[in-house]
Amino acid sequence: MFRHLRTLQQVSRRTLSSTARRQLENKVPVKQKLFQEDNGMPVHLKGGTTDALLYRATMALTVFGCGYVLYALIDAALPKKKD
Amino acid sequence: MAHQAHAYHMVDPSPWPLTGAIAALLMTSGLAVWFHFHSTTLMTLGLILLLLTMHQWWRDIIREGTFQGHHTPPVQKGLRYGMILFITSEVFFFLGFFWAFYHSSLAPTPELGGCWPPTGITPLDPFEVPLLNTAVLLASGVTVTWTHHSIMEGERKQAIQSLTLTILLGLYFTALQAMEYYEAPFTIADGVYGSTFFVATGFHGLHVIIGSTFLAVCLLRQIQYHFTSEHHFGFEAAAWYWHFVDVVWLFLYVSIYWWGS
Repeated sequence: MFRHLRTLQQVSRRTLSSTARRQLENKVPVKQKLFQEDNGMPVHLKGGTTDALLYRATMALTVFGCGYVLYALIDAALPKKKD
Repeated sequence: MAHQAHAYHMVDPSPWPLTGAIAALLMTSGLAVWFHFHSTTLMTLGLILLLLTMHQWWRDIIREGTFQGHHTPPVQKGLRYGMILFITSEVFFFLGFFWAFYHSSLAPTPELGGCWPPTGITPLDPFEVPLLNTAVLLASGVTVTWTHHSIMEGERKQAIQSLTLTILLGLYFTALQAMEYYEAPFTIADGVYGSTFFVATGFHGLHVIIGSTFLAVCLLRQIQYHFTSEHHFGFEAAAWYWHFVDVVWLFLYVSIYWWGS
């Protein structure tokens, strides 16, 4: 049984890299290729669909927030009639 | 594809300055609405917008530097100047609160009993948790320097370990300080003593949280191989900020906790 465990240990040490623990692969070259692609996209949208969704959500909140703050401030500035 | 004949960075048009400005508008107006009309909606909306802006703006800077190679030596020099100027502005921010503390404590008014600490205030023992907090932050200054040397020497595992330790020490400080706040025998409403104590240490605590977050982002980036032994300015900026937070604490400890007791 222990021989099997030792084999497992040796195999996992060989297939992953220097340590037996899980190691992250260096994905920087992949990202460099993605963000240096000559597609005319601005950096804030160049990552893909998630970028566009996050941008739209942020802009929607910005526009709504602008409207809401104008409403709240105008409402606060108007005299309230007491019944 | 057009190529530039200079080493500087002409950024792509970005929506984040606008969203950030609107976030600031919503937070400040929201604060006023909260105070007068008891509604936190506007302020919360502003906070969400601020978090979204910060995430996307700084994500874009990482993309521009690490993935697109725009951070040439002159550009990095500009970023260094920027961080130094920002930290300098923060020094002046804290200087104001120290001025307020010394103004009130060097000449205590008759209303306070003509003494400092004022009559009725039991200050915290500077040699208990505050001293531990001092040791924790000083140790974190050592571990963050260890991280820097590890990065420069290409020691990936050591850099990750020492940076994790630095962040844990920062979190430990925050937890200890939160406990101190809860257990303190005085509150922010206890005259000028309470005001100066909690505003100065409170803003410091906020900066510890900001610094810990900055370091945590650096940890994630280090794990993802963003930093090289020659080029790791994001980390250096975080380390500068962390040292600044440590130094502010030392001044707080000596002035408010120790001399002020």
